Amino acid sequence: MTALRVLEKDLKLHARDARFLATLALFSLSLVLILSVAFGPFFRDPAREASATLWAALFFAGVLGLTRTLDLESESGGGEALRLTGADPFAIYAGKTIANFLLLAVLFFLLLPCAAVFFDVGNLEVFPTVVGVAALTLIGYAAWGTLFAALARGLRARELLLSILLFPTLIPLWIGAVKLTRSLWADGTIEPVRDWVKIMVVIDVLGVALAAWLYEVIQEAEE
Amino acid sequence: MTLGARDIEKRFTHRPVLRRASLELHPGEIVLLRGVNGSGKTTFARILATTLAPDAGDVTLDGEPVRRRLRAARRAIGFLSHRPLLYAGLTPLENLEFFGRLAGVTDARLRAERLLERFGLASFARTPMERFSRGMLQRVALIRALLPAPEVLILDEPYAGLDDEGSSTLNGLLGEARGRGTASLVISHDRDRIAPLATRERELKDGRIEASP
Repeated sequence: MTALRVLEKDLKLHARDARFLATLALFSLSLVLILSVAFGPFFRDPAREASATLWAALFFAGVLGLTRTLDLESESGGGEALRLTGADPFAIYAGKTIANFLLLAVLFFLLLPCAAVFFDVGNLEVFPTVVGVAALTLIGYAAWGTLFAALARGLRARELLLSILLFPTLIPLWIGAVKLTRSLWADGTIEPVRDWVKIMVVIDVLGVALAAWLYEVIQEAEE
Repeated sequence: MTLGARDIEKRFTHRPVLRRASLELHPGEIVLLRGVNGSGKTTFARILATTLAPDAGDVTLDGEPVRRRLRAARRAIGFLSHRPLLYAGLTPLENLEFFGRLAGVTDARLRAERLLERFGLASFARTPMERFSRGMLQRVALIRALLPAPEVLILDEPYAGLDDEGSSTLNGLLGEARGRGTASLVISHDRDRIAPLATRERELKDGRIEASP
């Protein structure tokens, strides 16, 4: 129940911050537009270019979302208040991770049709599998992102540290997401690059396992 | 429940703030802790509330170090910090219900509504707190600390921003808590406001806790 309450609280705070949501949407849409113009007007491999654009935009815009989550806790002292409740730290982490995952998922569903239209790729047949690839990618992104955001909280250069930690860790997820999405849009199957699914599952599980082990320590180290 | 601090030491970048500071809070006591600005009162309060680790010394709850059962200790301690520790984007009721439920209070909403009414904030219960005044934030922060009816209360400058009515409500609640056997530590410069309730006075001076003159 703790996780659900933290999730509800984070979603409420995000939903009420119209300026943040507008910034996030405009930033990510601008990225897709700029990259589609940069690759166009004649695409050599539209499936590859579209998937690279989609995931690059999502990964960069996701940092904005994580930074906002981080600020919400730092500005209000919410991190300290959460500790004082004596609630299970992993449940707090789980709630925050699910909230970040949902925020990224909304962003994905906003960017997906734009990338598909701009690059003229994709079809409804592969749509469920593309959503599956997105889930696999965003679970890892949210799991690692929430952990690193907690690590960076309370530091002066927290946004910088978050990016420095997050992007190198997520490179395998980004490559996997691009390869799987490209394969689906170009060939209608993930068979040629199926092994990436295993790598992505390992990254997702590692992120959650590391958080289960370290989140309480990170939370307690915050002063 | 007795909260004890024994030989607490804390340094910030080589500057010693607390030097073997010791204090015991017994059930039904209200201890006033005074001290000049920068004497380390807030640091001491945060160490007692378990949000800051001491460099040396022990904080105990009924004789057992709090670090051994941190989560249970936190549920027994209500802490008012110098920061409100509330989410500005939520309403007072949402904040209080959220923190209350997380702390294991099953009727958190009902208790929050009652306390908001006592502090004269019932009509603001569903207003986002972004534009609340300092005094209103302080009242909601006090309710957050008092809501779980903790066995130990640590209040850091609870009268800051409160008007006479708010101070009187707070004193009423502190009196009721004392009646239930709650051990309270009140850190305040407003000696006149807390003096009628305080059972002991202590002063933090040169990093040590001494009997107040």
